[in-house]
Amino acid sequence: MKANGNHTIDLHDVKKVYRGKIHALRGIEMQVHRGEIFGLLGPNGAGKSTLVKIMMTVVRPTTVKGTMLGRPIGHKPTLEQVGYLPEHHRMPQYLTGRQVLHFYGALAKVRRAQRNRRCDELLDTVGMSEWANKKISSYSKGMLQRVGLAQALMNDPELVVLDEPTDGVDPVGRRDIRDVLVKLKDQGKTVFLNSHLLSELEMVCDRVAILVQGRVSQFGTIDDLTRESRRYEVVIDGLLPDGVLGSFENARSESLPNGTTQVVLPGTEASDVQPLLDTLRQQKLTIVSVRPMRESLEDLFMRAVMDPTTGKALGVGAASNGTSAKGASA
Amino acid sequence: MTQTAAIFLDAYRELNARKLFWITMILSGLVVAAFALIGINEQGLRVIVWDVPFPLTTELMSETTFYKTMFVSFGIGFWLTWIAAVLALVSTASIIPDFISGGAIDMTLSKPIGRMRLFLTKYLTGLLFVGLQVTVFCVASFLVIGFRGGAWEPGLFLAVPVVVLFFSYLFCVCVLLGLLTRSTIASLMLTLLFWFLIFALHTTEGTLLMVKFTQQQQLENQVSSLKHDREILAAMHEGDSSQENIARHETRIAEREQDIQRAETVKGRLDTAHRITMVVKTALPKTSETVNLLERWLVDAADLEPHDEMDDEFAAYEADPMETAAQQLTDEIRDRSVWWIIGTSMLFQVFVLGLASWIFIRRDF
Repeated sequence: MKANGNHTIDLHDVKKVYRGKIHALRGIEMQVHRGEIFGLLGPNGAGKSTLVKIMMTVVRPTTVKGTMLGRPIGHKPTLEQVGYLPEHHRMPQYLTGRQVLHFYGALAKVRRAQRNRRCDELLDTVGMSEWANKKISSYSKGMLQRVGLAQALMNDPELVVLDEPTDGVDPVGRRDIRDVLVKLKDQGKTVFLNSHLLSELEMVCDRVAILVQGRVSQFGTIDDLTRESRRYEVVIDGLLPDGVLGSFENARSESLPNGTTQVVLPGTEASDVQPLLDTLRQQKLTIVSVRPMRESLEDLFMRAVMDPTTGKALGVGAASNGTSAKGASA
Repeated sequence: MTQTAAIFLDAYRELNARKLFWITMILSGLVVAAFALIGINEQGLRVIVWDVPFPLTTELMSETTFYKTMFVSFGIGFWLTWIAAVLALVSTASIIPDFISGGAIDMTLSKPIGRMRLFLTKYLTGLLFVGLQVTVFCVASFLVIGFRGGAWEPGLFLAVPVVVLFFSYLFCVCVLLGLLTRSTIASLMLTLLFWFLIFALHTTEGTLLMVKFTQQQQLENQVSSLKHDREILAAMHEGDSSQENIARHETRIAEREQDIQRAETVKGRLDTAHRITMVVKTALPKTSETVNLLERWLVDAADLEPHDEMDDEFAAYEADPMETAAQQLTDEIRDRSVWWIIGTSMLFQVFVLGLASWIFIRRDF
């Protein structure tokens, strides 16, 4: 069962019902392209981790159609080409970092010679070479994440699935991990990222999906999803004379406390703002700054998880028979 | 193969990291060292270099037989199947709860290895603990018996598979309970309780058997006496005995017939109780009988005197006139087939492991 050659992950109708009443996933439709960094977002209990665990055969789906690397979801041999770092992972405390890589590498069917080579490479990549022969029990949270990432890459996977990879990692470590992800993308690998850190995702993800109560609420590139919110903010010195914006239908202005005025003009291209700049110059106004703006991923996320009728965040947890309930992990 | 080797290597490292593994290993070494330090001579016991007067001398038993008997009676019968087995359970009870704990199981299940294979391999790694312990103990005992007793008995190594088999009966239960409760303490306590229950069942069955044989003996004696009384009565009728004597004798016969009837009723009940016990016992693992098999085999393989646990348990019975019943009991237990002992125990194990595997395969983690 080969899927579309461009899709590393092609999910249809993924449902998971826990104990017959907690609907963790309610028919997920999602495609992840080959060679992209894909971000999965959602509030607690949205079903993110359940979806990842279904892909990694840790949780059995109630229904699933679709493929991963061209094979049906749940096909164990496919996992030879997949690397996975779970959230809150726990590695054997009695092993050293190097032994952990060897152990999980061997479980992923990586031959000894290749393991020896990959071990040194990856420990160096994640900056853990000096700690390679120390026991895992002596590692900090950040170090565990680094070694966890390295073990996920031992089998030189085509697809890397990372659940909260930067959890507990300091800013330097986060940057290092981001660099690794970008390098993987450059090598043509696909990265599936599940994270709460929206700013992190925004920096690296090509496309994102936002899960809310077991359903895909938003799906696409960040540019596509924020297209409607794209605008230019022009700041001028002093007040804006009346009637200047008359020919700019959607433009609006606002006086700022520091004696300047901000003019906001919806638009996606630089050419969209040129007529406004020409008009302001004709009026001999001093242009302080011109900035292209768009909605941040956080804004997008908040919009997705807000109930438009009540203005409050949608209930935490997977929905149970249409109502929200705690119970499923996310 | 790479995966299986990795799991076993990891299990060895895990054992290696456990203090209890090394404590048990050191204690095993001390037990064997104690064997080596004790010997017998013509005056009695010899402890290191000191002679201690003791009834057991080389006139009664050769030094070789002394060491072999020590190995079977104390080393296997007491140390490996009781103390070391409890320590092994304590050490291995956490294997499954740790394995399925959140964060750890995800890392393993996401690898290209089937759940059934993963689970059964993990189960086998638990047996590795006991396998290593018993092997080290047997090698040390083999050397002690060889050097001190002057006899090199490879038959002693039969203890390795037998003790591992015995432990596997308990460990499969521990694994199932660990999977269900996810708790090391709960699975350990419940396994020890299970062990106690099958030991109690074994003792109950032995006691019932002993009482049944005793009752059988008494019944046979009463039937024999009745026959004798009837012959006397017939002679009395033919002779010139008074009617009063005949009447008294007839009353005695009638009483004896009632006693026999009562004894048959009791025997019938005992038979039923024993049959029920045996049915329950057949369905459960037979730990004591499995270890006793080792003694049975070592009698042939290593030329040892049998030491039967039941002999000890019913020593009091042997001392009284019901020696025949005690002998019948010993023979009955010894005559039980290996296939009944191991086969039914293995069936139990297959059932428990099958159930545990099924749960493991279907569970969401």
